[in-house]
Amino acid sequence: MNTITYMTELGDLYWPSVIAALAIATIGGIVSVFVVLKRLAFVGQGVSHAAFGGVGLALALSAMIRVAFSQALIATIVLGFSVIAALVIERLGRTRPGRESHARTDSAIGIVLAASMGLGFILYGYATRHAPPSAPIPDLESVLFGDILGVRWTNAIVSIGVLAIVSIGVWWIRRALIMWSFDEQAARVMGVRTERIASVFMVLLAIGVVSAVQLAGIVLATAVFVLPGASALRVSHKLTPVFVLSITISIVGTLLGIVLGFELDWAIGPSIVCVQCVLYALCRAFGRVRS
Amino acid sequence: MAEAREIAVQIDHVSFSYEGADDRIVALDDVSLTVRAGERLGILGPNGGGKTTLLKVMLGELQPQAGAVRVFGRSAKEARREGLVGWLPQRSGADLAWPLSVHQVVELGMSVRLGPFARPKQEDRSRVESALELVGMLDKQDRPIGSLSGGQIQRVMIARAIAPRPKLLVLDEPTLGVDVRGQRLFAEMIETLQHELGLTVIIVTHELRTVAASAERIACLSRKLHFHDAPQGLTPGVLAQVFAHDVEGIFGEVHVDAHSAEDCPDSAKTHDHGCGCDHGESP
Repeated sequence: MNTITYMTELGDLYWPSVIAALAIATIGGIVSVFVVLKRLAFVGQGVSHAAFGGVGLALALSAMIRVAFSQALIATIVLGFSVIAALVIERLGRTRPGRESHARTDSAIGIVLAASMGLGFILYGYATRHAPPSAPIPDLESVLFGDILGVRWTNAIVSIGVLAIVSIGVWWIRRALIMWSFDEQAARVMGVRTERIASVFMVLLAIGVVSAVQLAGIVLATAVFVLPGASALRVSHKLTPVFVLSITISIVGTLLGIVLGFELDWAIGPSIVCVQCVLYALCRAFGRVRS
Repeated sequence: MAEAREIAVQIDHVSFSYEGADDRIVALDDVSLTVRAGERLGILGPNGGGKTTLLKVMLGELQPQAGAVRVFGRSAKEARREGLVGWLPQRSGADLAWPLSVHQVVELGMSVRLGPFARPKQEDRSRVESALELVGMLDKQDRPIGSLSGGQIQRVMIARAIAPRPKLLVLDEPTLGVDVRGQRLFAEMIETLQHELGLTVIIVTHELRTVAASAERIACLSRKLHFHDAPQGLTPGVLAQVFAHDVEGIFGEVHVDAHSAEDCPDSAKTHDHGCGCDHGESP
């Protein structure tokens, strides 16, 4: 079944998926510039994997009390779990002047990622064994690699809401955020509450990553928050063009990925990520030729 | 007269220790220091002597375990948050991969405290340009920050520090790795900045040449404050006390005789040398 057929005959399946994907792509375009420049790519990885712990927790709770949870409730539990994971990573990796950090950020991510995945698998296993028939368990592949076609209008609206929250949040703290990302120690001296900015950004990142899990799954969600920014930074050295390019590359890559997925019968999430990788290679080549 | 001038920085009996793996490492031991407004003070001392720690205490980055710091009559944190202090760190922590122009870097230093709906005023833009002009970087204001040389980046960072018109400019090892000519040009630039903007300047360094060229008064620090006066009063004996056996490495022409560290009593950690003895040739 090709793209045109989906658009015309299965619009209720197609349009919510595309709208959600575009909203998530826009979030990725904005946030990825900060993620790349602040070297937080692996933090995104940690948070997206932490989402699996949240999925496991939600399904296990549902199985335990033998009540089918709504998608919104599951999403809320996953989001809460991921936000806490992001804040734990930020807290553990924080270095205070005059004091030693509890653990470096990469170790903190490794700990949180492994703990969340381990817990997630245990709880997912418990849920598959004890879930009541009224609360079906999503298959592991869709959780790990995304199931954009499972998106309904409610999810699409939630994705637009998430886009609004992340965009407004980033815009609201844009100057402090850029300063924190560009030169953290100077930002602190200039009176920026860098720890607060770091925490707010981690929460925004976690919200974005969790929303991207439905698009690309736990394993690939972080790509949405790395590749567009990395590509744009290869092409331009100016602030506004970098953000515009990052959002454009993210949207174009997502649309191309969806179309390729439909036309070639590929899984949509991995297809989007592969297209984004190709765009990154092209941007890199362009940057090299130009310089 | 210097004594009639406002006190810019007042440090009273400040002590600070870092938590090590097994014990506490003393960085500052009962340091007292007064810097008057409009003064150019050089803080000289060996690596690990507590210079950067003292700066961080002045900036409110570190909270001393004992003693008090006032900057223009306020706590160090208040002074920093009010934009009274400009700072050039020892190593710039700036990520040069950021797609920012020279102008944007300096403007960001001014606008970072603005609310989300506020826009930088025309006056702020003029300040950015005049700061860049003072450090000789106005013609490069549209260049990406990542395309500049190390020396040019340092000038931009100085422009960023002075653009909000602070009353105090703090420079941490500003001439590290800079050749003699560069040090002289730097000293000239600092003097110009001080005169143009009426700044109080504190320069922390372990290089005697930088201090001699840039500062009106010198404080020698090696955990304790060993000397605080005009450069003419600085003697090889004091330097021997501050730098221990490294003195000859700092400026080889100075001969340190037996009449040195032992003759300088610990009480020299007051605002004056306090030794009263003649150590011979001044640097």
